[in-house]
Amino acid sequence: MISSDIIRGYTDTMILYLLLNEPSYGYEISRKIKELTDEKYIMKETTLYSAFKRMEANGYIESFSGEETYGKPRTYYKITEAGKSYYREKCEEWELTKEVIEKFIVKENNHEYY
Amino acid sequence: MNTIKNYLDNMFLGLPETEDVKRAKKELLAMMEDKYNELKNSGKTENEAIGIVISEFGNLDELADALGIRQVVDNKSDINCVTYEEAEGYLEDSRNIAPKTAIGVFLCIMSPTFLLLLLGLNELGFLQVKEERLVAAGLAVLIGLVAAGVSFFIRYSSKLEKYEYMQKSVFQLDYNTEQMVRRVMAQDEPAYTSAVTTSVIMYILSPLSIILTALLLNSGGASIISVVGTLTIVACATYNLISKGGINNACQVLLQQGDYSVKTKSNKTFQIISKIYWLAVVAVYLLYSFTTNRWAISWIVWPIAGIVFAILKIVTEEK
Repeated sequence: MISSDIIRGYTDTMILYLLLNEPSYGYEISRKIKELTDEKYIMKETTLYSAFKRMEANGYIESFSGEETYGKPRTYYKITEAGKSYYREKCEEWELTKEVIEKFIVKENNHEYY
Repeated sequence: MNTIKNYLDNMFLGLPETEDVKRAKKELLAMMEDKYNELKNSGKTENEAIGIVISEFGNLDELADALGIRQVVDNKSDINCVTYEEAEGYLEDSRNIAPKTAIGVFLCIMSPTFLLLLLGLNELGFLQVKEERLVAAGLAVLIGLVAAGVSFFIRYSSKLEKYEYMQKSVFQLDYNTEQMVRRVMAQDEPAYTSAVTTSVIMYILSPLSIILTALLLNSGGASIISVVGTLTIVACATYNLISKGGINNACQVLLQQGDYSVKTKSNKTFQIISKIYWLAVVAVYLLYSFTTNRWAISWIVWPIAGIVFAILKIVTEEK
């Protein structure tokens, strides 16, 4: 089970990663997250949507109307330059976080610590 | 698919309809529909697909800040929540009480008939009694029947009192409960529809008694008595409608549809008008009947009042 506290700080990072190469829309992003994490993490629609709104307000992504197969226009999101640099910042932040936390994690073969 | 839309509608119930909120709702629905379609295509049953979509949806709290509706969302949790047990209890009580209320209404509608009968027979010369005495006897029965009818209302409406807030204020219903209510409503639908049809036909045919008497017999006494026929048919039709409409009405209350929609409940002007209105109608009916003694015609106040009420409702809602 993943702690939602940790994930919360990185939902933006996950979404931005998926937008790096091409614009995408709500369901596609949520499906890719599910696939990439082997269904270990499923992003709720409300989480995804509030992240869209937040990042749009911060200028990290832009929305536009795109084609849709069922005839209804669908909202697509694309990453901005500010979004890309924010993404890189978050990656560095994660590397640092990981490095720090790792120091306090007992590895399975070091049984004497238990 | 409707279930998903209803779920979302219910979740957004009572939120301000700003552009942001409308857009959020549209996009969330699109995401849910996409997910639903894909789950269906991957071989899930309709129920499984709906279950997954709803369980993975999340909650309004997460959207509150993004949509600038933090305050509304926080207040929304203060809104009454009708539980599954409460809803079941309300449906059960409504089912039991509707026929009793119907008897009360039946008695009230029938209340002037004895008076009319006496006046008619007297007019035809069958009774050799002073008219004042007949009126006195007829009124005694009228008051007695109204009292009996009202006692039914009082005795049984007190059992529904605890549910009154459902008719007056906006509340929330969780997904399971709503599904249960929709099932009950669907089960009741055929019986309810046939009851409405029967009653409407009876209402349409009810003036025939008066019309035929007027056409065939040119007699004042007979035409007074013919009103008894009309009232009896109206009373039976109304009894039928109320006693068999209890479940449907309760479902409408629970689903906040029709007369109990959020829109109507929020229409405070109309709430106040309707209270005063019906009291005024009763006053007009009694005042007119007692002062002119024209009981044979005064009942017409009721159907007219009903139509005017419907118009009032539409007019105040337009605003």
